[in-house]
Amino acid sequence: MKVFRSHLLLCGGTGCHASGSLEVKKALLAELDKRGLADEIKVVETGCNGFCAMGPIMVVYPDGVMYTLIQAADIPELVEEHLVKGRVLERLLYKEPSTGETIPTMQEIPFFALQELRVLRNRGIIDPEKIEEYIARDGYAGMAKALTDMSSGDIVKEILDSGLRGRGGAGFPTGLKWKFASQSPGDIKYVLCNADEGDPGAFMDRSVLEADPHAVLEGMVIAAKAIGAHHGYIYCRAEYPLAIHRLNIAIGQAKEAGLLGKDILGTGFDFDLEIYQGAGAFVCGEETALMTSIEGKRGMPRPRPPFPAVAGLWQRPSVLNNVETLANIGQIILRGAAWHASVGSEKSKGTKVFALTGDVNNVGLVEVPMGTPLGTIVFDIGGGIPKGKKYKAAQLGGPSGGMIPVQHLNAPVDYEKVAELGAIMGSGGLIVMNEDSCAVDMARFFMDFCQDESCGKCTPCREGTKRMLEILTNITQGKGKEGDIALLEEMAGIIKDSALCGLGQTAPNPVLSTLRYFRHEYEDHIKNHHCGAAVCSALFKSPCQHTCPIEMDIPAYIALVRAERFEDAYRVLLKTNPFPSVCGRVCDHKCQSKCRRGKMDEPVAIKFLKRFITDNAPRPKIAAVPVDRKERIAVVGAGPAGLTAARDLALRGYKVTVFEELPEAGGMLRWAIPAYRLPRNILAREIDDVRALGVDIQCGARVGRDIPWQKVAAEYDVIYLAPGAHASQKMDVPGEDLGGVWGGVEFLRDFNANEEAWLAGKKTLGAKVAVVGGGNSAIDAARVAARLGAEVTILYRRERKDMPAAEEEILAAEHEGIKIEYLVAPLKIQGKGGKVNAIACQRMKLGEFDRSGRKRPVPVEGSEFTLSVDAIVAAIGQVPDMSFVPQDSGVSVNRWACFDLASDSKSRTTNPKFHAGGDAVTGPDTVIAAIAAGHQAARDIDASIRQAAGEPPWEAPEEEKIDIPLVIDEETQESPQTAMPEMAPAERRQGFAEVELGFTREAAIAEACRCLRCDIEI
Amino acid sequence: MSSVPLNIDGRDLIGKPGQTILEVARENGIFIPTLCHYTGTTNVGACRVCVVEVENARSLVASCCMPISPGMVVRTDTPKVRASQRMIVELLWSSGDHNCLTCEQNGACELQDLVYWLKIDHPRFAIQPPGHPVETTNTMIQRDLNKCVLCGRCIRACNEIQVNEVLDFSMRGSHAKVGPAFDADYIDSECVFCGECVNVCPTGAITFKQARFSGRPWDMKKVRTTCAYCGVGCQIELNVHDGRVIKVTGNREFGQPNQGSLCVKGRFGMDFIHHPSRLTVPLIRKKKGGELTEATWDEALDLIAKKFKALKKQHGPDSIAGLCSARCTNEENYLFQKFMRAVVGTNSVDHCARL
Repeated sequence: MKVFRSHLLLCGGTGCHASGSLEVKKALLAELDKRGLADEIKVVETGCNGFCAMGPIMVVYPDGVMYTLIQAADIPELVEEHLVKGRVLERLLYKEPSTGETIPTMQEIPFFALQELRVLRNRGIIDPEKIEEYIARDGYAGMAKALTDMSSGDIVKEILDSGLRGRGGAGFPTGLKWKFASQSPGDIKYVLCNADEGDPGAFMDRSVLEADPHAVLEGMVIAAKAIGAHHGYIYCRAEYPLAIHRLNIAIGQAKEAGLLGKDILGTGFDFDLEIYQGAGAFVCGEETALMTSIEGKRGMPRPRPPFPAVAGLWQRPSVLNNVETLANIGQIILRGAAWHASVGSEKSKGTKVFALTGDVNNVGLVEVPMGTPLGTIVFDIGGGIPKGKKYKAAQLGGPSGGMIPVQHLNAPVDYEKVAELGAIMGSGGLIVMNEDSCAVDMARFFMDFCQDESCGKCTPCREGTKRMLEILTNITQGKGKEGDIALLEEMAGIIKDSALCGLGQTAPNPVLSTLRYFRHEYEDHIKNHHCGAAVCSALFKSPCQHTCPIEMDIPAYIALVRAERFEDAYRVLLKTNPFPSVCGRVCDHKCQSKCRRGKMDEPVAIKFLKRFITDNAPRPKIAAVPVDRKERIAVVGAGPAGLTAARDLALRGYKVTVFEELPEAGGMLRWAIPAYRLPRNILAREIDDVRALGVDIQCGARVGRDIPWQKVAAEYDVIYLAPGAHASQKMDVPGEDLGGVWGGVEFLRDFNANEEAWLAGKKTLGAKVAVVGGGNSAIDAARVAARLGAEVTILYRRERKDMPAAEEEILAAEHEGIKIEYLVAPLKIQGKGGKVNAIACQRMKLGEFDRSGRKRPVPVEGSEFTLSVDAIVAAIGQVPDMSFVPQDSGVSVNRWACFDLASDSKSRTTNPKFHAGGDAVTGPDTVIAAIAAGHQAARDIDASIRQAAGEPPWEAPEEEKIDIPLVIDEETQESPQTAMPEMAPAERRQGFAEVELGFTREAAIAEACRCLRCDIEI
Repeated sequence: MSSVPLNIDGRDLIGKPGQTILEVARENGIFIPTLCHYTGTTNVGACRVCVVEVENARSLVASCCMPISPGMVVRTDTPKVRASQRMIVELLWSSGDHNCLTCEQNGACELQDLVYWLKIDHPRFAIQPPGHPVETTNTMIQRDLNKCVLCGRCIRACNEIQVNEVLDFSMRGSHAKVGPAFDADYIDSECVFCGECVNVCPTGAITFKQARFSGRPWDMKKVRTTCAYCGVGCQIELNVHDGRVIKVTGNREFGQPNQGSLCVKGRFGMDFIHHPSRLTVPLIRKKKGGELTEATWDEALDLIAKKFKALKKQHGPDSIAGLCSARCTNEENYLFQKFMRAVVGTNSVDHCARL
């Protein structure tokens, strides 16, 4: 045998073929030839390696180095470096997205390391077109054992004992199926292989056939022996040419070797088989339809009983198994039932192959033990969700399956658990969906598939799926009606219960599953015409506008920036947002997360453009609005919610008085967010505009202390409660009341109130400060402390990617030299003389997933350590201070210390005179959410007053027309988001000047040109 | 095992092995609605109107194709069963142009009966007929697929009863339709116009074209007779209204020889009955070269007898030969040859079927 010094295993699966592995192979052979290495180095084209996202893939043996994303042009360098000079070519190695480190060998890559290869044991190792290579890997040894040493009964018993269940999806025990067929009388029986893989996103069977076709043939011969069949068919869809090609080669080779056909291995057992190509009907994957199709008839299912084991193909006893099931057989016979049952869960033994696709980093084929938690598959093997998006659900089982949402990431994936969660195992298609997927739209997509693939034989499937699709389509187009959900549920139940075959019976599953987990999305579409994922485009003009809580007309002001009409742009901003210059700085810009441009490269910098407008255009003048209504309205709290409500009500002619406890208005904007993020004069300008409308803002006036609650209640017709959430949550560790231990908002408030004293050193945190928490307040506190000269360490109990703080804030903190310790939790605060001097901490490791989809931190025993500190700022969350609300006010406060709202209102409390909004209702949330709450309250208050007075609803005065230019580029080049110029990190710690410097005119216009204008329908 | 005990709707019943739930129910006077079921053809379980609840079954089962098993407990009238039947009928109703005002099958439509029986006021879905053009290219059968419920009875009738193998489904899902290969019209297909499909169609999708607007089903007086076209003796049912034969239908209850099936002639060849050129009385040409004039049967038979006698006398019996018709029954043919041999005295007797 010829010995080669190196083997190059190049993936030749359909995925890698598509990404260019055939070109790579050609280049490789040419290069080796050119260098005279053809006798030393052998190129082997293998079947699917599994890591399809990284294709074309090549593994170099004996080193085991794996190269990814190879192009033909890389070959000369790769040969030169690795094969001539013996140096690993770094740039083509796999790079772990979470850590950025390169991993040279395949086994160390998490994608492979966590898999258990049984069915796929030969993938990427053997040349599927060479039977010798299969035989060298124990191929056909199981068959030899079955044909020589075992009776039909022995084989059936072995398979029964192994616990193998049908991998096509239904999970029927394979041994039992074989037993029934073996007991059926008749001298003509059939063994059939179902390779009509048709689920969208599923390619397990194709890969097995392409990578290891003999394993399937071996399984079929064993099945034939078990049931007494001498003829078989592989029903493979014609869309799998490579699989059919390799199967044909395998059948030819096996026949030649006496492993198929007459008198196999001289045992006297005959078994022959042929390939029957399916013409692409999904329903032909259903067993009776498949058999009808082989019979040459229209592939439609027929009623059972009789079951195929009794009367199958041509009314003869038949066994039909899925590709993956059959690929398991040879090894089970060879290694025994116990070996197979040694992995898996109680009722689901062995491994399962999944085609991992969708919004997941490592798209590919994975094989894991049954019962592996879903989160392990998606996050540890799959590498999580691209672009830092959130996991929403995984569709398991294709169009017949269901979604498994974030709260079930710990669910062990086996037949029982998956069914309990409302999905099915299916053939193993696992489509991951991120937060940008709409549940209703997904249900619509799968229903569209099923109604399209329905054969039309039975009424529930033919007409029912069509009507369900109609209802779902209506909902996604904003034409949903009251009662649609109930009708969908009724139809789903009836179709499931009365359809003829598996296709119809499972077609409603995606609807039932999305209704089970995402019912609110259906309701949101129907009642509010709102699609949270900004997918259902009939409901909105643009995804950014739809996602903005106050629906700012983003495409309009961006178009105006492009046209250099900045003043008009400012007017557009003010139509919906009283605080555009604030939002241009501190908004969490949800709009950008749904920006269509982000699907191409990066989202448009909407927030920065908004700031650019407010920085560069003259602010439109505000004139007082005459009071023409007799009702008097009080607002408690001059934060963004209260001021927005006050402004809107003033615009509608009401006299509004705002009571603010603190000495200046602005709420968290003034008292928590530091000036380097939001300069005071910028905020003041926007608050002044609210005053200019005629709103009376009384600062230093706390309701319940400076003005009695009863007085406010008596003197005003309606009161809007928007006091915010200004109290820090306790860490609940010993020593929390020592001196030098601050709450996050309390520290920020103190600093903002006494800035001069702090800057002059009259107040100090000390030299070393620990900040506990991972939200924006924690980062704010840390960056302020750093500016006060402290050495700051942030202690956060989870990983960086789990921090709720904005990414840009975390980055800025890092740039400013703030140390962040991840996976650390405080245990105890130590002190001396009533003052803190150290914090005892414990390291955490990641455990199971919590309901938010983040891995729960669990303490590492013995990892305790102590950090000596002069001060601690605990910024782990905030709660409203509700001490001003009297018990007998009729305004109910819930156990989260937030106002309860009436069930039929978005702002009215349990006492109709009082409305409430902002953080005091939702708990700590964003500025833009508070502004939205203010708008909502103003609308509700005005409507209720008018309704009570029998007046018609308020009509907004006609808006000034601003003509929005329509300029769309013919072509769009990929280009990243324009970076925000920032002050150098070294300078930042010197003071509280604004860090972000704002776009230049050129930068702003260039950035505005990146908008794809997806709001335009042409 | 020769008897299978089971319980349907609380009644303990005995069925025979191999029987379906539906068969046992019908034998015992328990009504289960059906649509696609057609006795004598394969049970396909397509329409799902016949669903029933079976204890311990995973879902509802189609009674038309579910074999009975010992101890089976069946309920045919539960809320779940009725809700499913109602939904299915609503879906069928709304998927077609089921406008009874002008439908020939009004009053004899199984879908109409189901709607009425299930007390459905109106379907919850918008009525959306598929919009197929009505097939008008032949003179015998009118096909309006907008009234088709895709039960497949015509297909089974064509393939299994008549074995003409012309009809099958084409297209998929809600686009599915019935027809000859390549979407051809009947006239351009292998169809022999036996009309079996018309006979089995439960709705107004396939109707007798000649009978259109000639009488409602309840106007028809049904007259059993024997088809006059050949000697098989097929039993037919003339549908008579106002003294006119409107159409010919088969009736399986008449049994042998045709079990309700007919051929194109027996089914559609009845326009001669009321044709103005049809001979209704004997005609005699009284003088050479003259006009044929109406005569009585006595006159005509007397004339024939007289001429036969004269010929026989003058030229012998072998100067007369008899040719009889395949339209006659065997008995009539027997009588005819007996007459020729015994009365006329010749063996020159032949039959058109030998030519």
